[in-house]
Amino acid sequence: MSALFSQNPLMNGPNYSFSDTPVSHPNEAHGELREHRFNPYTDNGGSTLAIAGADFAIVAGDTRLTSGYSIHTRYSPKVFKIGGTTADQKDATIVLSVVGFAADGTALRERLDAACKMYRYRHGKPMSVNAAAKRLSTMLYQKRFFPYYVYAILAGLDEEGKGAVYSYDPVGSYEREMCRAGGAAASLIMPFLDNQVNFKNQHIPGSGEGHAIQEREKKPLLREQVEILVKDAFDGAVERHIEVGDGLQMMVITSQGVEEHYLPLKKD
Amino acid sequence: MDTLVARYSRPTYDETVTEDMEEELLDPVASGLSLKFAMPPVAQPSSWLRSATDDRMNPDCPIKIAHGTTTLAFRFQGGIIVATDSRATSGDWIASQTVKKVIEINDKMLGTMAGGAADCQYWLAWLGMQCRLHELRHKRRISVAAASKILANLVYSYKNMGLSMGTMCAGVTKEEGPALYYIDSDGTRLAGNLFCVGSGQTFAYGVLDAEYKYDLSVEDALALGSRSILAATHRDAYSGGFINLYHVKEQGWEKHGFSDTNPIFWKTKLEKGEFTNVTSELV
Amino acid sequence: MPGFDFSNYNRNAALHARGVPLPKATSTGTTIVGCIFDGGVVIAADTRATSGPIVADKNCEKLHYIAPQIWCAGAGTAADTEFTTSLISSQLELHSLSTDRKPRVVTCMTMLKQHLFRYQGHIGAYLVVAGVDPTGTHLFTVHAHGSTDKLPYVTMGSGSLAAMSVFETQWKGSLTEQDAVNLCSEAIQAGIFNDLGSGSNVDVAIITKDKTTLKRNHIKPNERSKKLKSYAFERGTTAVLKEKIITKKELGRFVDIEEVEPEGEKMDVDT
Repeated sequence: MSALFSQNPLMNGPNYSFSDTPVSHPNEAHGELREHRFNPYTDNGGSTLAIAGADFAIVAGDTRLTSGYSIHTRYSPKVFKIGGTTADQKDATIVLSVVGFAADGTALRERLDAACKMYRYRHGKPMSVNAAAKRLSTMLYQKRFFPYYVYAILAGLDEEGKGAVYSYDPVGSYEREMCRAGGAAASLIMPFLDNQVNFKNQHIPGSGEGHAIQEREKKPLLREQVEILVKDAFDGAVERHIEVGDGLQMMVITSQGVEEHYLPLKKD
Repeated sequence: MDTLVARYSRPTYDETVTEDMEEELLDPVASGLSLKFAMPPVAQPSSWLRSATDDRMNPDCPIKIAHGTTTLAFRFQGGIIVATDSRATSGDWIASQTVKKVIEINDKMLGTMAGGAADCQYWLAWLGMQCRLHELRHKRRISVAAASKILANLVYSYKNMGLSMGTMCAGVTKEEGPALYYIDSDGTRLAGNLFCVGSGQTFAYGVLDAEYKYDLSVEDALALGSRSILAATHRDAYSGGFINLYHVKEQGWEKHGFSDTNPIFWKTKLEKGEFTNVTSELV
Repeated sequence: MPGFDFSNYNRNAALHARGVPLPKATSTGTTIVGCIFDGGVVIAADTRATSGPIVADKNCEKLHYIAPQIWCAGAGTAADTEFTTSLISSQLELHSLSTDRKPRVVTCMTMLKQHLFRYQGHIGAYLVVAGVDPTGTHLFTVHAHGSTDKLPYVTMGSGSLAAMSVFETQWKGSLTEQDAVNLCSEAIQAGIFNDLGSGSNVDVAIITKDKTTLKRNHIKPNERSKKLKSYAFERGTTAVLKEKIITKKELGRFVDIEEVEPEGEKMDVDT
């Protein structure tokens, strides 16, 4: 029923409501949602994005942390290095981004980091991304009945040295992908990425008439191209989403290690 | 080997849920697929969970879990065909078009995924572990009947806790021949020849029932599986993406591609003259 | 009072009770302010209009004309502020014509509050009314339920707290026109940067005994950055199944065609 009437997935839920909605069973309509006063979640806004390349992966996120119409801070990172030997994560090879409820994000990051560190101490080598990805999935699922309100993206280089991006839902279903946007502006950024990274709906001009037209060939992008796409994606999101802005934090994972960049975004 | 089995064996439902997570870091077993789950500190965890995650009951719920599917599997003379779409939706949003909804439990058995994506992924992986333990304990492969019952018992122990899954187990063994079971999160477990599960099930049944015969050739059976999913992706908004096709035989399963629905649709329309309701004529 | 049609009210309420989300009105999470100075009054507004968390309009006008020397800044539901101000503007014009007097700010404020009170807050218009009339300079706020205030400096909308903090630290009695404009601009910018519902540019209107000056986009502190790459697609990128061309000449059989030069504000787009 609801799918029929909401014209836009970006605008979930009513903007205004009838305060005196007539109901046949007052307890039923009002009771079900009002029964629980336990509200452990807040949406802290913000957006993240990750793209995998042939021999690198880039994870980015804005640095604004909001609740309602207020900005709590203009610099709160959403992208973290995971599983280094020390607290400064100098030798980390995996990057995690979390968006949704910031407190759950922090808790999840600390847990995954601890698990990766334990792995390092036990086995004397860093955890592979696919192992960390599976570990993160079980961590999220362990809270299946009290979920982390978090949309996580994990990135690194796989055992062949190729860029790897894993995306998650809040209860741990995961998938390896070429690119993924998460958080508040995911619905603005993801279609852009489908078109510019996976070349969806792009064809080779003049390669045929009607159905014979050839789809544009998919090939991994170069690092410079991906960096441009990331910056433009966030510049676009900042223009149209009120919870995205202030700063762009970008982590580039290569065989040399993880580079971190920071760029200012619009602050309104 | 016995110590290994003992270490990984647990009662199916562990009542002692530890609040702190420190233990799992030290215990290598606990960090795997376990039965320990954190619970919200409320009287009715399941109804709290529903208000926080069920987007159909509460469209404003903060956490939207990936849903929506068409999956099918049917038995025929040459084994079992398993076919699925690849779309995951959360609310009105298409979360992914590239989900692998056929889960390879081991090299002889397949599971399908409908309902909560995480529930299916986790518990079918867990089922794979149980099947391997069965092999280690009994020195022979588990039957599909037994495997499906392990899963059915597990989901039944979590009944009304909010799990959402509609899954099929397909495998071919010497004792059973091609065996197909349907298991859902209500605790239902059915053996059968033919099942379609998910939001697009009715559309798939429409095509599958019309053309299905047990004596189908392998080629025709694969084509029918693919065509049924195509029909569902065409009419169900919550299904789409790619068609994932598998053929299960006694030697093990065989993958028959992960193919984009769009070119298949146009090929079916233009070459076979079907879907005449769709035109590109300008009025 | 004609105007509102309630025939779908019960149906919509029933649908809503069954969980159908209502369509979203464009609301102006907004910062609007007003401040009196020696010889007149200044009102100012940001230019962001939102629909939920999405920016619907990056440069909308929230300063509404009522009479030549009376202007209104509106917050709340965009359509309500728009229509309420234009309705009162019309009534005030007729009143002015029939009495052969210049319209007064109190009259405007009273008409607004009576209109809004009648609808018990269902018309979501939150207004700052300012103007100069033969009785002097006036500045009021009108809330959706019908209550009003008369103060030397006022703020409204979701950014009202941010804006008020500027007034409360910097306002002093007897300001010059320039001081008042600067103070109001500062207040709006506090809203633009600290309130997510407000953003983009600052609009200012200065009303004195002699004239009204509307400074559209007085300050533009949020210019859009240029994209790093062109996203123009090569012609032929989109697959075309069928093509049918209707020429202007063919269309001439049904309607008269007249060439018109495009005008007005251009929307800023890429490429």
